[in-house]
Amino acid sequence: MKTKKSIYLFMIPGGLLFLVFFAVPTIYGLSLSFTNWDGLSNGFKWVGFSNYVNLFTNDTTFHQAVGNTLKFVVSVVIIQSFFSLVFALILLRNTKVNVFLRTLYFFPTILASVSVAFIWTFIYDPNIGILNAVLKIVGLGHLAHAWIGDPTMVIYSLAMAEIWAHTGQLLIIYLAGLQQIPVEMNEVARIEGASRWQIFWKVTWPLLTPATTIVVAYTTIQSFRAFDLVYAMTNGGPGSSSEILATYIYHQAFQYNHVGYASAVAMIFMVVIAIITMLQFGILRFRKSA
Amino acid sequence: MKKSKIALGVFLVGALTAAVGCGSGTSGSGGNGTGANGGGSSTNSSTKQTITFLHWRGEDVPTFNKIISEFEQKNPNITVQMQVIPSDQYIAQAQANLTGSHGADVFTSFPGAEFTAIAKAGLYTDLSGQAFIQDYNSNLLGSGQQDGKQLAVPYQVVFNMPVYNQDLFSKLGLQPPTDWNGFLQLCQKLKANGDTPIVFAGKVSAGQFFNDMVMNNVPDPKVFTGLLDGSSKLTDSGFLKTFQQLSELAKKGYFQNGPLGTSQDAATAIFAQGKSGMLALGSYQITPVNKDNNSAFKMGLMAPITTDSPDQAKYVGIDTTTFMLGVNAKSQHKAAAEKFIDFLSQPDIAAEYANGTSQMVTVKNVNYTDPALKAMEPELTKALRFQPMYTLTNQQVVDAVTNTVEDVISGTDPTAAAEKGQKAIDQALSQK
Amino acid sequence: MRWLRIPLVWIYALLILIPVAVVIESSFKSLVDLYANPLWPSSGLTTGAYHTLTSEVPLLHYFVNSAEVTVAALVMVLLFGAMISYAILRLPRVLGYVVYGVFSVGMMIPTQVNMIPVYLEMTKLNLVDTLGGLILVEAAFLMPVSVFIIGGFMRTMSRELLEAATVDGANEWQIFWRIATPLSLPSVASTAIFGGVIVWNDLLFPLLLTKSNTNRTIPLALLSFTGEYQTNYPVIFAGVLLSSIPMVVLYVFLQRYFIAGMTAGAVKG
Repeated sequence: MKTKKSIYLFMIPGGLLFLVFFAVPTIYGLSLSFTNWDGLSNGFKWVGFSNYVNLFTNDTTFHQAVGNTLKFVVSVVIIQSFFSLVFALILLRNTKVNVFLRTLYFFPTILASVSVAFIWTFIYDPNIGILNAVLKIVGLGHLAHAWIGDPTMVIYSLAMAEIWAHTGQLLIIYLAGLQQIPVEMNEVARIEGASRWQIFWKVTWPLLTPATTIVVAYTTIQSFRAFDLVYAMTNGGPGSSSEILATYIYHQAFQYNHVGYASAVAMIFMVVIAIITMLQFGILRFRKSA
Repeated sequence: MKKSKIALGVFLVGALTAAVGCGSGTSGSGGNGTGANGGGSSTNSSTKQTITFLHWRGEDVPTFNKIISEFEQKNPNITVQMQVIPSDQYIAQAQANLTGSHGADVFTSFPGAEFTAIAKAGLYTDLSGQAFIQDYNSNLLGSGQQDGKQLAVPYQVVFNMPVYNQDLFSKLGLQPPTDWNGFLQLCQKLKANGDTPIVFAGKVSAGQFFNDMVMNNVPDPKVFTGLLDGSSKLTDSGFLKTFQQLSELAKKGYFQNGPLGTSQDAATAIFAQGKSGMLALGSYQITPVNKDNNSAFKMGLMAPITTDSPDQAKYVGIDTTTFMLGVNAKSQHKAAAEKFIDFLSQPDIAAEYANGTSQMVTVKNVNYTDPALKAMEPELTKALRFQPMYTLTNQQVVDAVTNTVEDVISGTDPTAAAEKGQKAIDQALSQK
Repeated sequence: MRWLRIPLVWIYALLILIPVAVVIESSFKSLVDLYANPLWPSSGLTTGAYHTLTSEVPLLHYFVNSAEVTVAALVMVLLFGAMISYAILRLPRVLGYVVYGVFSVGMMIPTQVNMIPVYLEMTKLNLVDTLGGLILVEAAFLMPVSVFIIGGFMRTMSRELLEAATVDGANEWQIFWRIATPLSLPSVASTAIFGGVIVWNDLLFPLLLTKSNTNRTIPLALLSFTGEYQTNYPVIFAGVLLSSIPMVVLYVFLQRYFIAGMTAGAVKG
C-alpha cells in the first residue's frame, strides 16, 4: 500500500507535545552527562567522556547497582509475567466473581507508593511484622527473617513487593490480548478434537505474542525504573545491598550534587534497557514465525 | 484529504489552548479553596508582595500557619506562601526550585553537605549584618557559617543521643554509665531481665548512633574531617575501635531482632511498649513516643561512653543545629524575606514555635513551657559535640561511613568493613 | 485443572485482601493504636482520621484539580497516542519502526534526569504554577506509554481490512476514526487505566510545578501529614483510600471493554 502524505499529519499533535515537553528537556538532561554540573551552580564545564570512564573503571557502587538491578528485574519479570498470564486466563470471563477479583488484583496499583511501601515495611518487620508471625504459626519459624534488613535477602524482598503492586496491572494487557483472538480459531481447534492444553499452546499462546511482548517489555522497563518503592523502603540499604540504578542516579544527582555524573549513569541505564527490550522483541518475534 | 488536514489543525490548536486555557482559568478563580490551609491567598495589589517559604516539616504546619497570620497582620503588605515538601523529597525538589529564577524566597536547608553545596553555588544571601543575628545563641550558629559569613541561621537544636527509659532503669537500679565497661554491663543487665537493651531503627540509626559511638574515640574534629581530604582513614585506630565496639554490641545481641530491617516508626513503637532500655535515635523522638504511642514512662537522654575510664571521655553527648533559614540570592523580595526571618527570631515567636512543635530552638531567652523541652534545657550546658556526621561536607563520604556501620551490624568483620568503606571514600574523593 | 486454579486465585486474592484490609482498618484507628494494637484497636474504631483530613485540607478543591489534570492529560494522550500508533501502521515499515522506537525509548529515561530541565523550561515558558502547564507535562510524559501499548496492539491489525477501506474511498481520518480506533479499544482502555493511575497518583510533577494551594492535587494534600519524625499514617491511609475511589470507578467502568467472554471457550477448564 502506498503511503499517503496525509498520514504524517497524524503525528503532528502528539509529536509536538512529546518534542516540546519531553524530548527537549530530556536531551538537554542527557547531554549534561558530558559536563560536571552540580545541579545548583550557574555554570559547568564540559568534561568529555570522563564521567563514563570513571563509571566503568572506578565506580564499584555502580557495578554493584548494575548487579542488584539485574537480580531485581529478572525476578520481577519472570514471576510477574507468569502470574499476570495465568490470572488473565483464569479470570477471562466477565462473571461477577471474576470482575470482582480483577478489580481486587488491580487495587494495589492504585495505591500511592507511600502506602505500598508502608504496607510492606510493616509486613516485613522482623519483630511486629505479619510475615514472620504467620511463618511461626504454620511451624516454619526457622524461616523467619529480617526481610529487608538482611543484605542477601533484601533485593528479593523488594521484588516481591513490586510484584504484588503491579501484577494486576499487567493482567489487563493480557486481557486485551486475549480479546483479540478470534473466537473461530478456538472453535475450529476444538472441533478438530484438540485438548485444552493443545489449544493453549497451538492457538492461544502464539496469538498472544503481541500482548506477551508488551507485558514482558513493559515489566522490564517498569522494574528497571522502580524507584519509589525501593527509595521509600530501604533507600538502597543496608549498606548498598539494595542500591539499584534508579536510586543510584538519584543519590548521585541530588545527594552528592553530581548531576552530570548521574546523567551518564542514566544514559547507560537507557542503553541497557533499550538493548534488553530489543532482544525481547527479537526473540518473541522469532518464536512467532518459527 | 484537505478536510482531514483542517480537522487536525483545528484539533491540535484547540486541544493545546484548551489545556493551557483551562489551567490558567482555574488558577485565577479557585482562590476560595485555600482558606483551610492558610497562607496561600494570592491577591495582587501593586504594593503587596508575596514571599514563598519552603521547608520540610509537615508536623509544623499548624504552628507555622498561626505564626504566619500574626506576621501578615503586622506586615499587611507581605503575604507568606508556605510550601512544605517532606524531607525524603526535599533535597531533589529544593534543588530544582533553587535552580530556577523564581525559586522560594525563604528556604530551609540541612547543615553539612547540603549547606556546603548551596553555599558553593552562591545561592545564599549573606545575613551577617542583620540585627536578628543578636537574637540567637552565638555558639549555636556555627553550622550556618562559612568563611566568616552567616549564610543561614539554624533554627532548631536537637540532641542526637539515645532516648532511654528512666522508669525501667530505676526499676532495675541502673544508672547511665560513664565508661565502656559500664555500658556493656548495663546492656547485659537489661538483656538478662528480658528487655531489649537498644532498639535500632534501620536506615536512620546507623547515621545517628555512630555519632555517639565515635565522639570520644576520635575526639579531635580535625581528625574526623580528615576523612574528607584523605589525611585520616576509616581504618585508623579511633574509627576501627568504634566499628569493633558496634560489632561487639551486635554480636552480643544487644540490638533487637533484625535491627536493619526495622523502620523508624516500628522502632519507636517497640520502644514505647516499655520493654527496652534505649532507642538509638534522638531527642526529636521523645514527642512521638509520648504522643503517637501514649507511653507513660519518663525518658532521658544518654550517650554511650566508649572510653575505658570516665575521665578519658571529652564529650557526653551530641547536638545538631539544623532547619537552617536562608534567603535566596535570586529573590526579588529580599527585604520582605529578611523581615520574615527577623519575625521568627523574636523570642516570643520562637517560643510559640518551640512549644507548639516541641522543638528546641537556637533563639536566646525563650521560655519553654512544653515539659519535654523543659527537661531537655539543661543538656545545652553539658559538654556536647556538634554532630560529627554533619561536619563531613561530602555526602558521598557520609554514606560510605553509614554503609560501613550497617555492614558491621549485619555481621561483616569490622576491619574488612572499614577497608571497604575507605575504598568507597577514596573513590568519592577521586570523583571530585 | 479446576482443582488447582480455584485455590490459586483465592490465595492470591487473600494476599491482596489482607494488607488492603489492614490499610482500611488502620484508617479507622488512632495513631496510638496503629502499632500498639496491630490486630484490633483497644479504644475502638474511630473516624477521626477522616475528620482530620476533611477539616484540615480543602479536599474537594484538590479533588477537582486532580480530576481536571487527569482527564485533560488522558484525553490528549489517548487521542494523540492512537493517532501516532495509526501513523506507525501506515508509514513505510522502517520509518514506522523508528517512530515506535523513539517513543519506546522515552519510557526508558529515569525521571531524575529530566526533572530539573523540565522545571527550567517551564519557568522560561511561564507555565510554572498553572494547571495547564502541569497537564502538558503529564501528557507529554505519558505519550511513550500510550504509543507503546496502543501501537504495539495496532501493529497486529489486519492490513487487508484497512486496504479495503481505502478502496472504498474512505480518507485516512475516517479509517482511523471508524475502523482502527474501534478495533483497538481494548488497548486504548488499558492505556487509559495505566495512564489514569500514573497521573492521578503522581507526586513528582505536581510538587515540582505547582506552588500555590489553588493548584494543588490530591497526592500533595496528603503530604502535610507526612512529618519528618512522625507520620500520621491513619490520615494518610484515609486520604489514599478516598482518593483511590475515582480510579476504582474508572477501572470498573473500563472493564466493559474487556468483553472477553466469547473467547473463554479456549481456556475454559
